[in-house]
Amino acid sequence: MFKHFQKGNAIKSLIFFAVIFYLGKVFDPYNQGQLSVVLIYFVGILSITFLTGLSGLISLGQGALMAVGGYTCALVVLNLGLTYWQSIIIAALVSLFAGWILGITAARLSGPYLAGTTLVIALAIPSLATRFESVFGGDVGLSVDYGTPPEWLSGAIGDIGYEQWQLFAVLPFATIALFLALNILKSRTGRSWRAVRDHEIAASLAGINVQRIKIFTFVIASGFAGLAGAMYGLRGIVGPSVYPVSLSLALLTGAILGGLRSITGAFFGAALVVFLPDLIDKVTGSWELASQIGDYLPAMVSGILLILTVVLNPAGIAGALHHHKPRHK
Amino acid sequence: MLKVENLVTEYGAVRALDGVSFTAAKGKITTVIGANGAGKSTLLRTISGLERAKSGQISWADKSLIGKAPESIVRSGIAHVPEGHAVISQLTVAENIEMGSLFRRRNHRSDVKLAIEEVYELFPRLAERSKQLAGTLSGGERQMLAISRALVSRPKLLLLDEPSLGLAPLVVEQIIQTVNDLCRKSGLTVLLVEQNANTALAVADYGVLLSLGKVVANLPAAELKADASLRAAYLGY
Amino acid sequence: MEQFLSAVFAGTASGSIYALVALGLVLVWRGAGVVNFAQMGQAMFSTYVASTMIMNGNSYWVAFFAALAVGTVLGVAVDLLVMRPLSGKRSSAMLASPAMRGTVPVIASLGILGILQAAAGMIWAAEERGFPAPVSTLGLSIGGTVMPFTAFDLFVIGIVLVTLIITTIFFQKTGMGLAMRASALNAEVARLSGIRTSSVRTLSWAISGAASSLAGLLVTPSANLSPNTLDLILIIGFTATVIGGLDSLPGGVLGGFILGLVISFVNVYSSPSDIFLAILAILLIVLLVRPQGILGSKEVRRV
Repeated sequence: MFKHFQKGNAIKSLIFFAVIFYLGKVFDPYNQGQLSVVLIYFVGILSITFLTGLSGLISLGQGALMAVGGYTCALVVLNLGLTYWQSIIIAALVSLFAGWILGITAARLSGPYLAGTTLVIALAIPSLATRFESVFGGDVGLSVDYGTPPEWLSGAIGDIGYEQWQLFAVLPFATIALFLALNILKSRTGRSWRAVRDHEIAASLAGINVQRIKIFTFVIASGFAGLAGAMYGLRGIVGPSVYPVSLSLALLTGAILGGLRSITGAFFGAALVVFLPDLIDKVTGSWELASQIGDYLPAMVSGILLILTVVLNPAGIAGALHHHKPRHK
Repeated sequence: MLKVENLVTEYGAVRALDGVSFTAAKGKITTVIGANGAGKSTLLRTISGLERAKSGQISWADKSLIGKAPESIVRSGIAHVPEGHAVISQLTVAENIEMGSLFRRRNHRSDVKLAIEEVYELFPRLAERSKQLAGTLSGGERQMLAISRALVSRPKLLLLDEPSLGLAPLVVEQIIQTVNDLCRKSGLTVLLVEQNANTALAVADYGVLLSLGKVVANLPAAELKADASLRAAYLGY
Repeated sequence: MEQFLSAVFAGTASGSIYALVALGLVLVWRGAGVVNFAQMGQAMFSTYVASTMIMNGNSYWVAFFAALAVGTVLGVAVDLLVMRPLSGKRSSAMLASPAMRGTVPVIASLGILGILQAAAGMIWAAEERGFPAPVSTLGLSIGGTVMPFTAFDLFVIGIVLVTLIITTIFFQKTGMGLAMRASALNAEVARLSGIRTSSVRTLSWAISGAASSLAGLLVTPSANLSPNTLDLILIIGFTATVIGGLDSLPGGVLGGFILGLVISFVNVYSSPSDIFLAILAILLIVLLVRPQGILGSKEVRRV
C-alpha cells in the first residue's frame, strides 16, 4: 500500500537534504545556527500539523513533549553512555510512550478543555525537573557533550565549524522526519485523521474508532515533538529554560502562520518564527528604536500576525499559495 | 401582506429555492406543502433572515426584508417558530416565554405582561409547568412553548415550521386548532409549513405546493385539496 | 496547628483571586462561548495603567476605576476587532470543522495575550511595579494575637463575594442576563426572539474585562506586577473553572477557593515546585470523574 508514493517521498526528502546541506555550506555561521533551529522547529511544528491541522486537536504542551525528548536523550547519553544517534532514537521512542499516556488522558477532551489541560501539562513537566533536582539537574539542567564532527565527514568536505556541525548533525533527523511525515499524510491513517477532524460522527459511523485514532495522533505527534526536543538538546544543554511555555506557543504560532494543514506550511512557519527577529532587525535597524520597543517588537509582530492570519487567512502562507494551484483533495 | 418574488436561496451548489413567488394574504392562513426536501423550511428561514437569499425579493407590508438580520425582522412583527429545536431546553418555561418579549419591554411594558398572561391562558399546561426546565416538557408542550415564545412578541405574521413533527395526532389537532382560532380572532397572518398536507389544508385558506424549490401550484386550499392528480404526484396519496 | 491555620487563611485569600479570575472566564464562556486566555493580559495591562496613574499622583480609587474602565474597553475591543470577524468567517474550510470552531478563538486569544504583553513591555519596559492596597496589609490583631491574614485579605474576599452575588443576580434575574444566557445557549432561537446576540456578546466581553481588571488590581499588592506575573494566575483560574464547572458562576468561585487552599497546603506541607503537579493532578481527576465540574451542568461540556 505504501510503495507507490514512498518513492516520490523519498526523492522529495533527498532533495530537501541536499538543499539544506548546500545552504549549510554557503551560509555564515550565525545563519547556520539559525537554520539548525529552523529544522528543529520544523520537526516540532510537524507535531502540531498532525495534531491540530490534520486532527483538530489543540495542544499547548508540545514544548513539554520536546522537553521529554530532550531530557531522555541527555539522560541516556550521560547515564548509559550511548552515542547520540542511539540516544535520539531512544528519546523518540520514549516520547511515543509519553504521547500514548497523554493521548489516553486527553483524547476525550476538546476545545478549551484540551487547550487548558495541555497548558497545565506544559507547566507541570518542566517543574518535574526542579522537583527531582538530583536526576534532572534542577533549574540549571544537564549539559551534554555531543562530540565533534567525525573524521570521515571533515575529511570529505573540509573544516566544519561549530554551528555548521550543529546543522549537519540535526539534518539527517529532520530529513527522516520529513520522509515519515510525507508518508503519514498520504496513508490511511492520515485520511482517518482528516475524517475525524471534519465530521466525527460520520467517521465513527464509517467504522473508524475515534478514540483510538485520537490517541494514535497524540502518539505520533509526541514522537515528532520528542525528536525535535532531542535535536534541540544537541546544542549542548537541556534545562527548563530551554523548553519554556513560550516554546509551545511559538510552535503553535509557527504552525498557524505557515499553514496548519501542510508540511510545507510547517517549514514556512518554522522559518518565519526563527528568522522573524532578524527580519525585524533588518527593517527597523536604521530607525534607532528605543531598546524597550525593539526588545518587544518581535513578540508584538508575531502576535499581530497570528491574529491577522486567524481572522483573514486561516490557512496561513501555505494555504494562500495553494489557492493558485488547481484544487485537489 | 407577505409578498415573495423570484426568491432564490442556495446551499453551496444546491438551489433549495429556485425562483419562488407567491403572496400570503393578510389575516389568512397560507400553507406551504410538499415532499421532504422541497424547500419549505428554507423558505421560512429565508423570510425570517436566518438564511441569506441569493436573489429575489421578500416584502412585508410593502417593506423589503432582504438583507435584514433575524433580530430586526422580528421587530418588524414577524415571528418564526422553526422546526425541531425551537425552545432552549436549559431555560425554564417562563424564561423561554420571557425571552420572546425582551425586545418589547422598554416601550410596551404593560402590554408585554398582558401578552404573557394571554399566552398562559391559551396554553394552561404551560402555566402549570412555568418553573420547569423546557427540556423536561413533552413534545407537544414544547411545541406550545415555542409558539408562545413567538406570540408574546405580538407578531403580525407567524411563520410556523412543521408544528406536527413528531407529535401525536390529537396533540397536533389541538395545536393547529389553536393557531386557527388565533388567526380568525386576531387577524394574524399565518404561513404554515407542513409535511402533513391533510391537516394543513383542513384549516388553511390558501395552499402553495413546492417541489424541488419551485412553486408547482398556488391555489385556494379547497381546490388544492380536491385536486387528486396534484396530490398523487407531489404528496404521494 | 498554627501552620494549618496559616495555610487555610493564605489559601482562602489567594483562592479569592482565583475565584475572580474564574468568574471572568465563566462570564465570557457563558456570554460568548469562548475561553479567553488573554484575560489576564487585559488585567495586567489595566493594572499597569492604574499603577502609572498612582505614580502620577492620582488617588487609589481614581486609578482603581480607571483600571476597570480600561479593562472594559479592552474586552469590547477584543470582541469587536477579533472575535466578531472570526465568527463571521463562514467560508473558510478550516473553521468549518466542529473541532476547529472551539479551537480557533482560543488561538486568537493567545495571540491577543502576546500582543498585550508585548505592548506592556514596550510602554512600560516591563518594569516591575509595586502596587498599593487601599486597606491595611498587616496582620489583623484580634484579642492581642496577630492573625495570619490581613484586612486586605478580608477586603478581597468581600469583593469576590459581592461580585459573585451581583453577577448571579444579573444573570438570573434581569432581562439582559436572560438575553446573555439565551444567546450563549442557542443563538438562533435567541435571534428569532429578537435578541441582538452580537451586542449581547460584546456586553459579556465588557463585563468580563472589568472583572479581570478587578482581579489584576487585587492581586498585585501581594505580587509584583510585570508582563508575565499574571500568567500563572490565569492557568490556575482556568483550572478553577474546570473544577467548578465552566458554565457555572458559583462553580468557578468554588473552584477558585478549592485550588487556593490546595496550593496553599502544598506550599506549606510540601514544596512549591509541586504546585503544578498538584494542579495537574486535580485537573485530571476532575476531568476523569466528573468532567462537567462540581457545579457544572451535564450537557454542555464538549465544544
